[in-house]
Formats: sequence, C-alpha cells, structure tokens
Amino acid sequence: MLKNFFCRKYKTIEALKDVSFSIEEGEIVGYIGPNGAGKSTTIKIMSGILTPTSGTCVIDGLVPWQNRKTFVKNIGVVFGQRSQLWWDVPVMDSFELLKDIYKIPTDQFKETLELLNKALNIEDLLGRPLRQLSLGQKMKCELAGSLLHRPKILFLDEPTIGLDAVTKLAVRDFIKFINKEWSTTIILTTHDMNDIEALTNKIILIGKGRILYQGSFENIKDKYSAEKTIEVEFAKDYQKVSLAGYKVVEHNQRFATLKTLPKTQFHTTDFVNQISKKYEVVDFQVSSLSVDEILAKLYNEYEL
Amino acid sequence: MLYKNYIKMHMKSSFQYRFNMMFVAFNQLLIMVGEILSVYLLFLQFESVAGWTFYESLLMLGVIYTVYSFVEAFARGYDEFPKLVQSGELDRFMIRPVNIHYQIFGSRFEFTKFPRIILGIVVSVIALVNMSVDWNVWKVLVLIATYICGSFVIFGLFLLSAGISIYTVENLEFLNIVTNGSKELAFYPINIYAKWFTRIFTFVIPIACFNYLPLSFIMETGSVPMWLCGVSPLLGMLFVLPCLLFFNLSLRHYKSTGT
Repeated sequence: MLKNFFCRKYKTIEALKDVSFSIEEGEIVGYIGPNGAGKSTTIKIMSGILTPTSGTCVIDGLVPWQNRKTFVKNIGVVFGQRSQLWWDVPVMDSFELLKDIYKIPTDQFKETLELLNKALNIEDLLGRPLRQLSLGQKMKCELAGSLLHRPKILFLDEPTIGLDAVTKLAVRDFIKFINKEWSTTIILTTHDMNDIEALTNKIILIGKGRILYQGSFENIKDKYSAEKTIEVEFAKDYQKVSLAGYKVVEHNQRFATLKTLPKTQFHTTDFVNQISKKYEVVDFQVSSLSVDEILAKLYNEYEL
Repeated sequence: MLYKNYIKMHMKSSFQYRFNMMFVAFNQLLIMVGEILSVYLLFLQFESVAGWTFYESLLMLGVIYTVYSFVEAFARGYDEFPKLVQSGELDRFMIRPVNIHYQIFGSRFEFTKFPRIILGIVVSVIALVNMSVDWNVWKVLVLIATYICGSFVIFGLFLLSAGISIYTVENLEFLNIVTNGSKELAFYPINIYAKWFTRIFTFVIPIACFNYLPLSFIMETGSVPMWLCGVSPLLGMLFVLPCLLFFNLSLRHYKSTGT
C-alpha cells in the first residue's frame, strides 16, 4: 500500500473506442450496455459536457463542445440519478429560473407548461419544494423542466430508474407523446429492457467502450426468440427422456424441461406429433426468452 | 435579469434555515472580534511595528476583511468549486446556454458574510478617522483602488484553487493555505515580515498592492517611489488575468464524475 502511495502506476483507459453511429431526426434510440460500458460518457460528449481526446461528433450541424452555448439551446438532458432542479425551492421557481436561462418568451412558456402539466399531471406538485417530492414525482418534474425550452433533442440517462410500475408507464407514455407531438429526437440509456421494447425504434448496444450492435431491436429479438423452452408433463414415469432436435435440461419422473437445439425450428404441431409417438403427454408449455434474458445472452456472447 | 433571479432563489432557500444562518454569521463575527483584539494586544506591547502605528495597521485589517468577505459572499462558487464538481452541478452548468462563470457566480451566495463586510468597513472607517493623513484627491482614489485591487487578487486566488481542484477533484488542504493563508498575512502591513517573504507577496501573489504599498502612498512614507506606490493597486488587479486564463484552460480538462 505504501508503495502505491509513492509510485503510483497510471494506466490509460479508453472509455470509448471506435464508437460511431448516426441518428435521424425524430428517432427514439435506446443506448444500452452493461454498467461501465461508456453509456454516460457518450451522453456527456453528445451533450457538450465532455471534450473527447479524439474523434468528432456533429449534431444538427454543430460540434457540441465547440459551440457549447448555441448547441445546448436545442437539447434537453435528464440524468436519472441527478437533479437538474433546485432542491429547496418550489418546483415552479425552478421553472421560472429556467425560463430566464433559456430566454423563453412568456407566451410560449405558458403554453408549453400547460401542455406538460396536462401530459404529466404535475399541476399540484409545482408549488412544493423539490425535496418534498417522491422519486416518481421528481422525475416527472425533471422531465418537464428539461422540455420547457422545447429542445429538438432529448437525452435521457436512465429515466425510469427506481420508479414504481405506474409511474414507469406514465413516463414511457409521456416520452412517446413528446416524440410524436414535437418530433423530438430522443436518446435514452436504460437497464430496463421493457423501456427499450416499449419505446425505441433502434438500439445501439455498447460494451467495453465499443459498439457491438446497432439496428432494430426486433432483429435481435427474432434471432434469440427462436430458442424455446418446453416444459412437458407426462402421464407416467419415464426412466429416460430424449427427443431428436431437443436437449433435455431437466428430468424428474413425470416432468421434463426441453430446449430447442440451435438448428431446430420449433413448430408446435410437429413437436406434438414427434413427442406423442414416444411418450404419453398430459400437458406442455412453450416459452421463449424474456427480453432481459436475451440481453444477458448478448452480453455473454460478447463476453462483457 | 438572470443574476437577480439567482439571488432571489438563494434568498428563498437559505432563509428556510434562518436560525442556522444567524448562528453562523454571529459565530464569524466573534472570530473577527478576536482577531481585531489580537492586533490590538500586539500594539499594546509595541507602540509601532516596523514603523506602522496601530491605526495604520488596523486599516490593513479593515481592507482585507472587507474584500475577503465580499469575494467570499459573491464568488463562493469558486471557493466551493470541488463541491460543484462532485455534486454534478458543473455538468448542469455545461448544458445551459449561459456563460459558465456567470453560472458559478450565480450558484452560491453567502449571506452570512454580509455582517463581516459591514464590520470590515466599520473597522476601516475607525482606522481612517484616527490616522493623521493630509487627504487629497489622489489619496482618496488610491484608497478606493485598494479595495478593488484586493477583491481582484482574492478572486484570482479563488480561481487558482478552483482550477487546481479540477485536476485533483478533491479539496486539498494546501489550497486553503493559499487563500486563507494569504488572508491572514494581510492582517498586518506585510513589510513587517522577512524580506524574501515580502517579495513573494509583492511579485508573485501581489498582496502588497492592496496592503503596505498604497498605505505608504497615503502616509507618504517608505522607500518605494511614491508614484509606484500610487499605481500599485492598478498593477495588482492584473493578477486576475493569468488566474482566469488558468481556470479556463483547466476547465477544458474537466472529466465529469461518474453517475
């Protein structure tokens, strides 16, 4: 330990490497990857907070860290774990200050606020200090605060983290609504795969600072949902169970769990015909991978 | 104006902790009174120190109190810059279409420093009334420039320590020595210290420019040419420029903290 104090070893770690992508106007893009993959770093570069050592980034014709003041007028940022509003004062006061910061004309401010009030149902919260609000209420106010100036691009860093089911759904609906209403381009990072499934047209999968996949989420889902798990209940005890094209994962007297082998194309009728020739089946249930499992598999495949 | 609204915001939030504020302000006043007493006790022992009388020395105390508390009250954001970094507030500033310095100024107001500013002015006035000076326009101008220069130099020191903290992320104790240490030096006319020491605080950190140099001009004493003593506060103000440059360059190296 003492040695470490006197001669520290420094190692350069590349937080991001060869990360290259483009996003169209009006898209909702999910930026996903395990913890420490470089998601927040990318968001911070795209929002002008960090200057990358090399590489370039052009958003709406501007380089974020070069034209910071002009650029940030058109973006909104919500960090799920960090508040953008003032802690001790009523939310409305924060909004008023944001109005001054972004020089929003009074008419437009009123109109936007009314719209946000309706969509997020936050009218009653505005008079209360932020510190008195629950996590979900806070997130709703954060979202409203980041949209008062009607940004063209909205960055959401884990917007649903820690929220209860009802609020999560409300936040998702709201994100969709804003995307439709103002055709705001939305880039969100999340660990909640249901967010991705419900919201995004496109995902960018990042790991160890590199892009591993970009494209539609459906593609990935199709690829992995081919794998089925079948739980079978037999009419009597069998000593041994085996079936061509399937792997027996578990077998316990009258119950067995089968998995499709990589080349097997699952078809229910074929499966019923095939299995009933060998065994007497009472019941069976087919399931495919959940979205979370798919992602875990993906991470595994790329050794993240 | 945005700045006015920032102040309003801070008033609203800090007045929620009224009792705490009053306590802090009172506590700080007590410390100041103690410091004034210690200068007084020193001069009870020695009639003059390095040729300066009690009231001349007291003026230095008045000047440093006024300017230091003034800078602390309005530029507290730079003083607490490591906190801005750690809490992610700096990230928030970066995504607003407003100048970063404007936002740092707007991020903190220490209302509890106001009594100290007032006491600083009171001490200055008591000292000035009791000094025997042949006043003229130039002397008044130099006196005013002294306060402005002091504010600039102290602000420069705040900028320096804030800039360094970007690299170190934590608040290092040695940065306190730079700011607080400089303050305590300036309690006395600094030419009472060793010569090399006085030189450092004349040419490197120009504390002398709002300390014994303008005092020499007002009292018409000392070995430094009078014209030089007269313009010294103006020269001292320039100190803030390299500090500002350093801070701005450091900001480019800013690596935000993780979420």
